[in-house]
Amino acid sequence: MTNERYLIVSYFLGGLVSLGLGVAAYRVLRAPFAAIADAVEVKFRSPLLKRMLAVSMTMAGVLGFLSLSYTQKGCINYQQVVKDRSYLVKVNQQQLQSTGNWIVYAVFGWCVVVVILLVVLRSKEPAGHDEA
Amino acid sequence: MSPHAIVFLASLVVVVLVLALVDRLLRPGLRGLLEEITGLPPATEFYLRAFTLVIALVGLAALIGSGHGDLKDGARFMEYVWAVAGGLQDVFQNLIIVLLVYVALITVLMASLRRKH
Repeated sequence: MTNERYLIVSYFLGGLVSLGLGVAAYRVLRAPFAAIADAVEVKFRSPLLKRMLAVSMTMAGVLGFLSLSYTQKGCINYQQVVKDRSYLVKVNQQQLQSTGNWIVYAVFGWCVVVVILLVVLRSKEPAGHDEA
Repeated sequence: MSPHAIVFLASLVVVVLVLALVDRLLRPGLRGLLEEITGLPPATEFYLRAFTLVIALVGLAALIGSGHGDLKDGARFMEYVWAVAGGLQDVFQNLIIVLLVYVALITVLMASLRRKH
């Protein structure tokens, strides 16, 4: 396989893997998060929070993939990129690492959102409920 | 099999074992604590899943991103060991940062939801 073909295949495969990781992370968290959101949203019945979780997790995966530049923001040209196979492999590895890191940031962000939702839920409880 | 592949596979086995051990050690206590402070089973499940997801992603991402040295064919045994150790350094470094962030998060959760007796 030539370096140019490797670049094309690995780029689109890497993009799909990153997107898949984001979707997988969303599917892992979807069920418990939906139950929490439903408990909080009894008044509004809005699916906004659940949709935001889906959008943000998949976007985090794609963002991690896109945040790496093959040309190092224009410092090297296409010919130099294609010349070195080990450089292409290294960028692929960094793309996957970046994807993992961005998904972790997103998960932590949603953990904070759940803290806020739980505080809202607790404030709705009638007084004296916890003392049993 | 190339030296890089050997180092990567050896590192992968060690990382999976370490992640399983961390999860096994912390999960029961974490579950008990979360059940007590949230009082909502889905919230407990969410934080437990987030915990597993975060340590798995951070560990594997650090492993993939680490360079695994520049071993040549015919490298000696200890060179392989050093290459694996170099990769594991990144994994442990990122793992400890994530664990500290998670502990901070659980502390905020406890402070926010503390029950008045």
